[in-house]
Amino acid sequence: MKAGIGLVATCAGVFVALLLQQALPAVHALHGARLVLVPLIFCLAAMALPFPVMLVAAFFTGLLCDLMYLHVVGGQVEIALGCSIVFFMIYGSIANGFRPLFKHGRWWSLIPMAGVGTSAYLLVQFAMLSLRREGFEFDATLIWRVLGSGLLAAVFAPILYALVKPFGALLPQDFLIERNY
Amino acid sequence: MKKLQIAFLLAVLAAAFYVSSLPAGTMQSLQGRFLSVLAPFLRTGSAVQEQLGSMGKELKTLDELDAENRKLSEENRVLLATNNLLREIEAENNRLRLVIEYRERSVFKLLPARIISRDASTWWNTVRINRGFEDGVETDQPVLTEIGLVGKTTTVTKNESIVVLITDETCRVAAKVEGTREQGILSGKRIQESGTAGELHLNFLTKNAAIEPGQKVYTAGVSGGVFPSGILAGTVREFRTRPLDGQAVVDPAVDSSKTEDVFVVVGAK
Repeated sequence: MKAGIGLVATCAGVFVALLLQQALPAVHALHGARLVLVPLIFCLAAMALPFPVMLVAAFFTGLLCDLMYLHVVGGQVEIALGCSIVFFMIYGSIANGFRPLFKHGRWWSLIPMAGVGTSAYLLVQFAMLSLRREGFEFDATLIWRVLGSGLLAAVFAPILYALVKPFGALLPQDFLIERNY
Repeated sequence: MKKLQIAFLLAVLAAAFYVSSLPAGTMQSLQGRFLSVLAPFLRTGSAVQEQLGSMGKELKTLDELDAENRKLSEENRVLLATNNLLREIEAENNRLRLVIEYRERSVFKLLPARIISRDASTWWNTVRINRGFEDGVETDQPVLTEIGLVGKTTTVTKNESIVVLITDETCRVAAKVEGTREQGILSGKRIQESGTAGELHLNFLTKNAAIEPGQKVYTAGVSGGVFPSGILAGTVREFRTRPLDGQAVVDPAVDSSKTEDVFVVVGAK
């Protein structure tokens, strides 16, 4: 029951994050890096939910991300539907490994996980589209965008945790922190 | 790991591989349906963003308004005169085109559209416009402004379409340089600098082409292509000689980060 509520909350959070992301402008001072909310929300959920439920959340999150940013030109799809699902499964599995820590009050483990996960998500996207476009291009802007977005996610992670925590406490057993440790 | 967890893992992986094996058309159709569901939320979000962005911008003093009014009246007179002149040229142009049986390239039907949201992805240069297949928009139709080329439509939903901008690397346009016989393929950079109009590269030019900064670049309108001939795409900033060919660095004619109103070329009149 508790996990089911957590899953519904995650799906709703990812949906809202996708919409909010559309309205958030790029940070010109960080060469176009953005606050990418979806991996951040997913990371929090992956650290709080049981493994099978996290997998369902990964499927939902990945599918929505791919549908939102599917880039089709001349009948060619750059990053096929489903690629983000695999990414979120791997990312979620790693984040889920920190679940015991997280449930015992070490919420700060969310900060590095959110930063690294967001940067990894963007880097994987860039690598995939570079493979499709037959050649890699590296410049300073690429590094700024990948690392800058990760940095923004890491900065926003404690704020997100503070926003979500009161809702977790509303559940019969605290969703985010076990009381009896 | 428990058996149940492994079963879940395999089930989700199988589902992921199933959706990734869908044909491109099916994926695009799924994206269209998904965006149709999101459309009301996105519209509301962009309207709020627009309202917030314009707060305080529209407040002007009487002197400023008077000066603006005088400037606009003068511009209006100039535009009216230019318009009359262009009508005559258009009529003559159409007559000549008909004579040489180039009907398909004559005059195009333009559908006005408004940009409702800009690229929120890190790697792709796209915008969303408020016109879809209900308005007659189809995939791969050119999008332009009165200044020049903006891009082309990709995914088209009921009331909205995604436009891939010419500053995106995947939007390739056959283009020619004004005053020369030079033709090449124009495309954007993979990573465009944030907060700028972007940069285009015109590739496959002759190595020793006599191209100077300031020359205009127009679409070449190749047979079977998406873009009709003669649309301004940009202005040459620099010409580089490479081992096998020449490359012109081009500033786009339209700064899509500031553009709000565009036209979709939906067919011939």
